Amino acid sequence: MTRGEEGGPSPHAAWGDGRAAQALVPAVFLAPAVLLLAVFLLYPLAETFWLSLVDWNGLGTSRRFVGLDNWATLAHDAHFWLALRNNLALGLLSVLVQLPIALALAVMLDKASRGSQLLKILYFMPLLFSSVALGVIFKNLFDPNFGAINGALQGIGLGALAIDWLGDPRYSLASVITVVCWQNVPFYMILFLAGLASFSPDLQAAAKLDGASDWTIFWCIKLPHLQGTIRTAAMLAVIGSLRYFDLIYVMTGGGPDGASEVMATYMYKTVFAASRLGYGSTIAAAMFLAVMLIAMLGLRLTRRFETDV
Amino acid sequence: MRFRFTLKTHLALVALSACLSGAHAQDVKTLTEWDIRTQASSNKVMVDAVARFEKKNPGYKVERSVVLNDPYKVKLKIAFGANEPPCVFASWGGGPLREYVKAGQVLDMTPYLAKDTAFRDRFIPSSFDTTKFDGKVYGIPGEDTTLAVVHYNKELFAKLGLQTPKTWPEMVKVMDTLKANGVAPFALANKGRWPGSMVYMYLVDRIGGGEAFRKAANRSPGGSFADPAFVEAGRMLQEMVKSGAFAQGFNGLDYDVGASRRLLYSGKAAMTVMGTWEIGAATNENPEFVKKMDFFSFPTIPGGKGSTGVIGTVGDNFYSVSKACKYPDAAVELVKSLVDDDAVQARLAEGRIVPVKGLTVTDPGKVRVLKMLADASNVQLWYDQELPPALGELHKDLVQSLLGLSITPEEAANKMEAAAKDALR
Repeated sequence: MTRGEEGGPSPHAAWGDGRAAQALVPAVFLAPAVLLLAVFLLYPLAETFWLSLVDWNGLGTSRRFVGLDNWATLAHDAHFWLALRNNLALGLLSVLVQLPIALALAVMLDKASRGSQLLKILYFMPLLFSSVALGVIFKNLFDPNFGAINGALQGIGLGALAIDWLGDPRYSLASVITVVCWQNVPFYMILFLAGLASFSPDLQAAAKLDGASDWTIFWCIKLPHLQGTIRTAAMLAVIGSLRYFDLIYVMTGGGPDGASEVMATYMYKTVFAASRLGYGSTIAAAMFLAVMLIAMLGLRLTRRFETDV
Repeated sequence: MRFRFTLKTHLALVALSACLSGAHAQDVKTLTEWDIRTQASSNKVMVDAVARFEKKNPGYKVERSVVLNDPYKVKLKIAFGANEPPCVFASWGGGPLREYVKAGQVLDMTPYLAKDTAFRDRFIPSSFDTTKFDGKVYGIPGEDTTLAVVHYNKELFAKLGLQTPKTWPEMVKVMDTLKANGVAPFALANKGRWPGSMVYMYLVDRIGGGEAFRKAANRSPGGSFADPAFVEAGRMLQEMVKSGAFAQGFNGLDYDVGASRRLLYSGKAAMTVMGTWEIGAATNENPEFVKKMDFFSFPTIPGGKGSTGVIGTVGDNFYSVSKACKYPDAAVELVKSLVDDDAVQARLAEGRIVPVKGLTVTDPGKVRVLKMLADASNVQLWYDQELPPALGELHKDLVQSLLGLSITPEEAANKMEAAAKDALR
């Protein structure tokens, strides 16, 4: 809004009836957001659920309504349940691995304050890389024949640990999750750093004066202060994990033999490789429901443990 | 926040310039063309062919998009699904192209070929098989004649006193000698699942002959994916895995980043079953090594019904025109330019054989490929390209499971047959 408009005649005066205008204003201001949400969120969502009821290869007019057949197939699709289980494993490990590491880094960087600028940048780097490039790099590092990881293990006499990281169904999911965690730790680190920045130095000084150790300050003051941020981080980690796609797709393609399949890679393959748009939409819709359900449960559960600071 | 703001302004600028160039493009007729010729030398063949077309047809401008193999398939699918396909596009014929044809989105080229018989008759007739549906031709063979063969390191073979095996028992001996010398017999990078399928397809062909797959895919009487030939092929594949025939990590290695060729280059593996394009790929990456490379046909299996069949494609990529194209006549002309005599010769110069008649091939390797093709009792297109997409994917999944020893050959065969019954009515 420019200055000229602010200084102009009141819109009420121009429109005559003040009340009608009053009612219009919220509608006008809301319209763009509602319109965007409707076009880019609600419509695709409704369409996904509608497509989950058809058998269609995505081309032309071969679309055939099959009712809940796709959903019945999904309920008995072992591959889908395996993918969901992998998603949950990814979510759990993300919370258990990423958040503590991120918190530790944030607390240490916060303590070092000014001197840590370079470290902050370094730690933040993984998040800036493109996932595809990262995936290719790690694919080469994990290569059992030429990869640096197995090379190093053999070099230090731990050849027995030099396993087939991505090609063995027992390890491929864990290998990929490690990289996912490595890439995402910085995001939560920044989140926690921001949380710690709002921590009053006076409070810390007062605690020190009372003889509190650094540990006590961390456990009894800083951690409770961060609980809202931690809750947000945990929710983001879980939701992000349920929708995860890129590194897994690049590094293993969900394989071998579905061992590292997640819902999103399975959906992608079903739609784009197997040309089953209808069934792929069923997977997408189920994914949406799973994320909704778990997000709601998560919010409720974490709220219960909330304490007043 | 400031970042967002600049991003928005950038977007606005991009949108604005898009509008401007859109307005500008109106006086030039634009033909879009999509293909996968990402390698420098084969890309040049296309660039030159497009230049010839533009010179011959003033007023037309060709907008080319060159995309990597796997993303290309997805991009094409989305474009067709959104009803905005490119005018001219490359495909592999077979099942996926048939999906677009069935949806009425591909131009029938038969009338154009009938008008220009000189052009049509240049090609080896069988090269149209992959793009012919209900007697109508929907694509022109344009790139190469590629067969899957067993590539091997002849220096390594000579060092260990090995002969190229002609039969399976000989192959087993070769594998044993290699293993005893600390060399993995085969390099395989099966993350994408199609490289492993090549070994399986040959086993099926040698055991059951060409008709085993043909009858199963066409649902002919007696044809079934649960046929003993498929079960036995699965069993032999698993036997290879158990005996250590493949270099470790095979189910996780990525062909697209050269993981299997690295094994050959370093001498850690001695053989690989792959299309003849592997020689071209190696020439680009490691010209020194190519001198040590040679190939032989997949060995025969005692008691098996097949011996000379080949797995591969006559044409490799096929160029088609979409029905959505505003200038179909010009698009067909563009396709003709892409496979005109100059283009065919240019491809030959870099070692690729467009299936046209009377080509003078001097390279001994190419001569052998053509001889294998001429002697072949049957030419089988890759299963995943021949079958409808969903079934092709299942086939590749099952082969990966077989290689991972997580499914029995019988289970794999029965699963495939059950899905085929559903999909191929």
